[in-house]
Amino acid sequence: MDFLQNLAHGVVVAVSPINVLLCFAGCMLGTLIGVLPGIGPIATIAILLPMTFGLDPTAALIMLAGIYYGAQYGGSTASILLNIPGESSAVVTALDGHEMARQGRAGAALGISAIGSFIAGSIATVVIAALASPLASLALVFGPAEYFALMLTGLAFAVLLARGSVFKAIIMILIGVLLSTVGPDLTTGQLRLTFGAVWLADGIEIALLGMGLFGIAEVFRSLEHGEARQVKKTQIGTLLPSREELRASVKPILRGTLLGSILGILPGNGAVLAPYASYTLEKKLARQPGRFGRGAIEGVAGPESANNAGAQTSFIPLLTLGIPPNAVMALMVGAMTIHGIVPGPQIMTKMPDLFWGLIASMWMGNLMLLVINLPMVGLWVKLLNVPYRLMFVGIVIFCCIGVYSINSEPADILIMAALAVFGYALSKFNFEPAPLTLGFVLGRMMEENLRQALMISRGSFLTFVERPVAAFFILLAIVMLVVGILPSIRRGRDEVFVD
Amino acid sequence: MSLLNKGGEGLRPAIRSPQNFVAGAFLVLAAAFVVFMLSGLPQGTLRAMGPAMVPRWTAIGIGLGGAVLVVLSFLKEGEALERWQLRGPFFVLASLILFAVTIRSVGFLVAAPLAMFTAGFGSREVRPIELAIFTVAMTVFCAVVFRVVLNQPLPMLILPALSIQF
Repeated sequence: MDFLQNLAHGVVVAVSPINVLLCFAGCMLGTLIGVLPGIGPIATIAILLPMTFGLDPTAALIMLAGIYYGAQYGGSTASILLNIPGESSAVVTALDGHEMARQGRAGAALGISAIGSFIAGSIATVVIAALASPLASLALVFGPAEYFALMLTGLAFAVLLARGSVFKAIIMILIGVLLSTVGPDLTTGQLRLTFGAVWLADGIEIALLGMGLFGIAEVFRSLEHGEARQVKKTQIGTLLPSREELRASVKPILRGTLLGSILGILPGNGAVLAPYASYTLEKKLARQPGRFGRGAIEGVAGPESANNAGAQTSFIPLLTLGIPPNAVMALMVGAMTIHGIVPGPQIMTKMPDLFWGLIASMWMGNLMLLVINLPMVGLWVKLLNVPYRLMFVGIVIFCCIGVYSINSEPADILIMAALAVFGYALSKFNFEPAPLTLGFVLGRMMEENLRQALMISRGSFLTFVERPVAAFFILLAIVMLVVGILPSIRRGRDEVFVD
Repeated sequence: MSLLNKGGEGLRPAIRSPQNFVAGAFLVLAAAFVVFMLSGLPQGTLRAMGPAMVPRWTAIGIGLGGAVLVVLSFLKEGEALERWQLRGPFFVLASLILFAVTIRSVGFLVAAPLAMFTAGFGSREVRPIELAIFTVAMTVFCAVVFRVVLNQPLPMLILPALSIQF
């Protein structure tokens, strides 16, 4: 039970007054931005990231954890009350959560979502602590060929998960990889595709991509609809779910946690799949599946727990292998790099305070959510009552401040504007931005690992077949692509949304 | 664009999926442009990859993908082009540009209200007076939260004539 000792050490680091305060502040701000309609965790974290730059590394990461969980919870609040999911994984919450809100049970939906998230988060924290060491030692046998193959598998998985055309998802990944190559070549230092502009010389920040594609582009889309979206003027009702509701939720929460924990570990953002998987499972297990979609509390409890557990275990690939499995984790990498931390297996041994402090702070972030956000839900409801004609102005200025704070570089705002137009165009042509972000996130690392792998193998691609671990991942990637093309499986996956 | 407009006129139009056609054509052009921009950089060999290898082949992949979309648009029935609402993007982009231009030269206390007031007109339901009040309140709120509480490096007000800078 070595890891429990480590975890206890982490808790000691995390509960210092200043760290608790920062976690609190992060949680509040995360919810404040995350609750804005259409703004999911990616955009929220991108906006708030610069605030953590001035802190010491451990404190910064603890505050980020608070922001992350706040953003998640804010997103759920917006989907339950407004039926506007800020990201694809909150879509599932909106199905039954919003229905509950329309029946005047918004309080219970919000309550169970926080309780479920807390339980899931607590369990997932232990999972991370237990798995981190063994997986990190596994990472030591990984060479560049294995890393490249693993990331390829991640991308194939993202294609599999993308909604709509598989072919378009592949194009999106390629565009993401291409965008990631803007800036200096890591080996020779030669500038690529910068068009001679100084402000492109460092490449494109992932935070800009997050705010452009997921923040401002969403504003463009929402402005088309006009003022159709309003909070239902219904009662929030009591926040604590009733005894029966709690009893009905216990098993979905535990099952959701299990599903989420497993899926979150997969590279290529498996966590997105978790809420869908949980919703489908609960519907299959339910005695009266017809209740789903009509305000079944299990349909909120399960997916919300799965979502949170997955969000948390997706830290595992980052902390053990140094591979960010999604855009949120890539933002975390950005934050770590600013503080001179290189994510990977060595963090655990070289900076135990930071590593275990961060893991403990995840648990603390979840606790914060429960303690501060439930009592404050009235405030968030008031915020959601602000008409969109004013709300989007706020979103725009938050993005401006967020971008400017990163590098104090006004040109970054123009890059974000360009990315926003691009994101708007993507939605007009039915392309999905999620695979693009993953391609962007992994692009540079893939290029570096490919280069090293080929250097070692003297230019022979056979290295990816001869090395058993690499060959396994390549095979897995091919299988996933084939599965993604098979129509029967695609139909099954889309079924969740149909009814 | 005459090819695209034949859609509803009874005769089977040559382009059966305008959305895929335009997207594919754009990707082909964009990829060609990127390949052209990379022409000055060495590609290296597989054993020692140069800076242009990955971007060039990725761009070629994108171009091929675009070409496939174009071909498919002649063969497979697909969706029509969606309408673009230009009002929102126009005002929001104008506001972003204004903010970028003014934040360094006059500071946040001028840039923020200017940008927000411009952006507000992106909504068809804009109410100028309400917007003005909101703009002022948000400027104060952001100045307090981001500069005072969170100590972000936002220049607040720069007036060289009066040598004010804080």
